[in-house]
Amino acid sequence: MTSPSTKKLRQQFADTMLSVGQSDPDLVVMIGDISHFVLQPFAAACPGRFYNIGICEPTIVSMGAGLAKAGLFPVMHTIAPFLIERSFEQIKLDFCYQHLGGNLVSVGSAFDYANLGCTHHCYDDWALINSLPGTEIIYPATPIEFDVLFRQTYRNENLTLFRLPETQHGFVFKENELQFGKGIKITEGVHLTIIVTGPHLQDALETREGLIGLGWEPEIIYIHTIKPLDIELIRNSASKTQHVLVMEEHVRNGGLGDSVLRAIHDLGNIQFSWIGIPDVFIRDYASYQQHCEALGLSREGLIRNVQMLMARR
Amino acid sequence: MAIQNNDLRKQIVKMVYTAKDGHIPSAFSIIDILELLYSEYLHVDSKKPSWPERDYFILSKGHGCVALYTVLHQFGFLTDEDIKLFCKPGGILGEHPDCTKVPGVEASTGSLGHGFPYAVGLALGLRIKNRTANKVYVLVGDGECHEGTIWEAANVANNLQLGNMCVIVDWNGSAAQLMPRDDLPAKWRAFGWTTMVVDGHSESELRTALNNIRFQAEGSPSVIIAKTVKGKGVPMLEGHGVWHHRIPNEAEFAQIMEVLS
Repeated sequence: MTSPSTKKLRQQFADTMLSVGQSDPDLVVMIGDISHFVLQPFAAACPGRFYNIGICEPTIVSMGAGLAKAGLFPVMHTIAPFLIERSFEQIKLDFCYQHLGGNLVSVGSAFDYANLGCTHHCYDDWALINSLPGTEIIYPATPIEFDVLFRQTYRNENLTLFRLPETQHGFVFKENELQFGKGIKITEGVHLTIIVTGPHLQDALETREGLIGLGWEPEIIYIHTIKPLDIELIRNSASKTQHVLVMEEHVRNGGLGDSVLRAIHDLGNIQFSWIGIPDVFIRDYASYQQHCEALGLSREGLIRNVQMLMARR
Repeated sequence: MAIQNNDLRKQIVKMVYTAKDGHIPSAFSIIDILELLYSEYLHVDSKKPSWPERDYFILSKGHGCVALYTVLHQFGFLTDEDIKLFCKPGGILGEHPDCTKVPGVEASTGSLGHGFPYAVGLALGLRIKNRTANKVYVLVGDGECHEGTIWEAANVANNLQLGNMCVIVDWNGSAAQLMPRDDLPAKWRAFGWTTMVVDGHSESELRTALNNIRFQAEGSPSVIIAKTVKGKGVPMLEGHGVWHHRIPNEAEFAQIMEVLS
């Protein structure tokens, strides 16, 4: 196994734009005054296709739809709550209803901007985008995931959200292991299925030995594509282990856990548990790691929730 | 001044009366502008609505769509059957224009403040694609100019020097009902747009303004502030009273049609 990348997702975003933009004259990037400097190589290599539009996110999204109408492939990039929550009507009407394809690339995943509070948190983005027809959601938590999955999807006719987290899980994927819409079985297991997305794959991997020591061998499934969800992989695993735990940085309503429940609801006899953000705002000031620990999005939280789940047998 | 386009106005009233839905005064305030645009300025082809060399017209104030439908019908984009099925099951024409259904409609609008920024992106995209012959026209309402995205987009279009687009503001006084400090020409000038003010029911004034626009890939974008009258042409409909979304009864329908005859 090669070493994990030390490259930030945002740097990979810039590198991918540069690489794709040099071969595809129809790729256009618009930003809301973030990542300006890291995207300068793209701006220099692809003149006339980089625009720092400023702090007017709904207009950026509407303009993106207009670019798509002209036959271009727009990338719209800024901080998640402004790109998704503030601009939701533009996403719904200007892109999705009109069947126009585009790419939303957000940073500030969930509570990455930890101390900035509710204004800069966005942990309902999947629920919002998931509710619209013609959308896709990708959550790449290592650079290669973004690079590969962006290339696979950016020219299709859907509106695709790429949520870029600040923290990575460190697991090294090969390019041919990454396929849009397909989950990845990281480890075979027997007693329970851990369905994990984003940085918390690392918690699942680091907890595995401890869980085996407790007598439970987990099957770990990693999800990089939230929509469309790999239902077949999830159902097969759930049918086998009959115990499913979902771990995600998203509010419970409309998140991955809800999608998994819909996918397995008719299997019968499945015990289900979930770790994520409950139906309350995060109000405390704390670091990203401290927020994760408080929410149970940690190794300790995972073990605790597995113990409660398995006690239901 | 004699009222023009009475036949189109009659068709608007018939459609609304038959469907029992629609905005007559909003359509009357823009019908003269649309008729002139489609007859003399827009390079469009009803046989090829997606013709790549076409000009684009976007009705950002989507609730004026009955005027657009009548003009699209006049210029061959829509059939008699399409008009007959306005707001009826099986039809393609609703109370807001839908580009996924209606040939010749370039954007689905209705939520105010969307069509213009979308058109700014379109104008930028056409420039990126080096499609310098395509022009982009957008019609916004004065009430719509209360939306923040209008001014976001106006600022962006000026900074990007999108000289390939023209905005027409239907200045029919709706906005001033609520916010009387409504000096739209000063506002657009402050945003750096080449600004002209005309009588929106005068063919000659509209023509002079449209002829003055130098469409170019890079340059100041242009706005025509068209002073219009809601319900123009039928005194009982004019102004800002109850007729904004009212459907005429049988007697009123006859009365309106008589005035237009």
